[in-house]
Amino acid sequence: MMKQIALYGKGGIGKSTTAANLSAALAGEGLDILQIGCDPKHDSTRMLMHGTWIPTVLDLIRERGDATITVDDVVYRGFGGVRCVEAGGPEPGIGCAGRGIIATFQLLERLDALKGDVIVYDVLGDVVCGGFAMPMREGYAQEIYLVTSGELMSVYAANNIAKAIARLSRRVRSKCTLGGVICNAKNIDGERDLVEEFAHRINSRLIAYVPRDRGVQVAELNRQTVVEYAPESNQAAVYRDLGRTICENRTTSIPTPLEMDELESFALEFVQV
Amino acid sequence: MSSNPSPLNSSRFEGCTLTGALSVLTEVRDAVCIVHGPAGCTHHNFSLLHATLLSNDRLEAPRLLSTRLTENDIIFGGEDALEKTIARALSVSPAPTSVFVLSTCIVETIGDDTAAVCAKPRGVPVVAVPTAGFLGGVFETGVRNALSSVATLASPAAEVTLTANLVGEKNLEYGVDENAAEIARLLARLGIGINLRFVRRIGTGDVERLGAAAVNILREPALRPVGEDLKRRFKTPCIESFPTGLAGTCRFLEEAGRICGVDPSEAVEEERAYQAEMLSRFADIAGSRVCFRPPHPALNPDPVAEAVCAECIEALDLTIAPPDGVVIPLPYPAPVGTAGLRRMLHRWRVLIRGKGRG
Repeated sequence: MMKQIALYGKGGIGKSTTAANLSAALAGEGLDILQIGCDPKHDSTRMLMHGTWIPTVLDLIRERGDATITVDDVVYRGFGGVRCVEAGGPEPGIGCAGRGIIATFQLLERLDALKGDVIVYDVLGDVVCGGFAMPMREGYAQEIYLVTSGELMSVYAANNIAKAIARLSRRVRSKCTLGGVICNAKNIDGERDLVEEFAHRINSRLIAYVPRDRGVQVAELNRQTVVEYAPESNQAAVYRDLGRTICENRTTSIPTPLEMDELESFALEFVQV
Repeated sequence: MSSNPSPLNSSRFEGCTLTGALSVLTEVRDAVCIVHGPAGCTHHNFSLLHATLLSNDRLEAPRLLSTRLTENDIIFGGEDALEKTIARALSVSPAPTSVFVLSTCIVETIGDDTAAVCAKPRGVPVVAVPTAGFLGGVFETGVRNALSSVATLASPAAEVTLTANLVGEKNLEYGVDENAAEIARLLARLGIGINLRFVRRIGTGDVERLGAAAVNILREPALRPVGEDLKRRFKTPCIESFPTGLAGTCRFLEEAGRICGVDPSEAVEEERAYQAEMLSRFADIAGSRVCFRPPHPALNPDPVAEAVCAECIEALDLTIAPPDGVVIPLPYPAPVGTAGLRRMLHRWRVLIRGKGRG
């Protein structure tokens, strides 16, 4: 059965790195993977594509209209056969990127491109409008993974996404649930405990701790995922574990997001530790 | 006045800015109005304006163009579509002397800079009218912003004449021209002419005269911000409403005379005599028993209209006697001037006589 997952988290937290390495690891298991970058800066799949910027769906729609676009125009095969799509967006400061995400999904559905063993949606930093909640709506991603470090702003963003999941899950036909929390570490003291406790308090669990590793940067300087560049490394093993955990994950939940004052007092507890 | 409880008379403090603005702007007869948004926003307004013109025996089509935005324009921004539509507007025949551009709620949501696109020099004035659909306010806001936008086409006058502007006539209601004729009749008693109907059946070139009037007469107090704007631009003082009621009409003459430096006492005396003569023609309904009902189930009674009716009840010695009195709908809006009262009383008489026969 096809698994559709989405990675959400604060901008710059390492979502795209996590998503690309996750896709690469899952492809290594022989699975057919589709990764969809849902961020106007369209760099989600770049390491899978060895540094190539693939044409975005919205650039193609803007230039040619959507009538003549085919699957081959928007889906590109990267490392391990991962099929890569970038939604893209309008020029900065104009139009509506959120509506662009919706239009991208509608086009991909019409092209019958939303298939494979696992679809990985990599969504921009925060749920700023309904368009960026699109992957969480019925029929798309059914398991959401929150990517966060131990920094308060990152946890705050993750908590906001938990709010969106809780809201959407109230819909009658909603299939959107929280699959777990991934700690993408910044090497802060007590970071793992903090994120683990946060996950617990929002009725979820920490499903992976990804340590900060210089190997990731080295791989990216070589325009590759660490799974491809250093397959024997510890870091690649972490991503493969993450892939297996997600594949085998049968425990999802409806999150209970924290109120702002709860979040602040929670952060204070850990600072005092 | 209109006693017709038509939906067109429904509240001006609801609805969409576009309709209000277009009710003004389409009366600049040599202009083209562009609605920057999906085609439906233009369609609805075209239909309403066209139907209203027809029901007022005007076989004219409002000159509206739509930028016809589609989903892709919403995603990528609609400024290119606006550029193209302005070019299209300038190429229609007969060529417009001015172009007004109205924004809808969706272009305001996606952040199109309508004003910046309009500001490019094109040889013909292309005026961005602040509307923004529902985001910009209600019908009345649209009216006000449209009037202020048209005013930007005029420069201060070299000479002020003993004339008045009629500002913000309600172009969608019945009796617009009758009301304007009544104001003209009253002002003629003071020797004051009509300079400009702002905006009703005028051309772009006429707007240049806007600053030449000695007084601006606003259709209703809700237009006060427009009166203030015109005062700032042209130093023209204003009267805040068309006159209503017997005493109100005489007060209007006094105010107009004071503002224009004309002694109004003779005009007021003449008007009082005229009113007495008018009332005497309705002596046949004196003493009748009547009761009032709201003008329309969806409308609250207008206090000004109620005051006008109370004044006529007293003048004609009628008795308010619910529930068996003759049911008379309260006018909406309140009748304008003495002529408006006369038309209202004609209607009362028809109802009272009808009841007598029935």
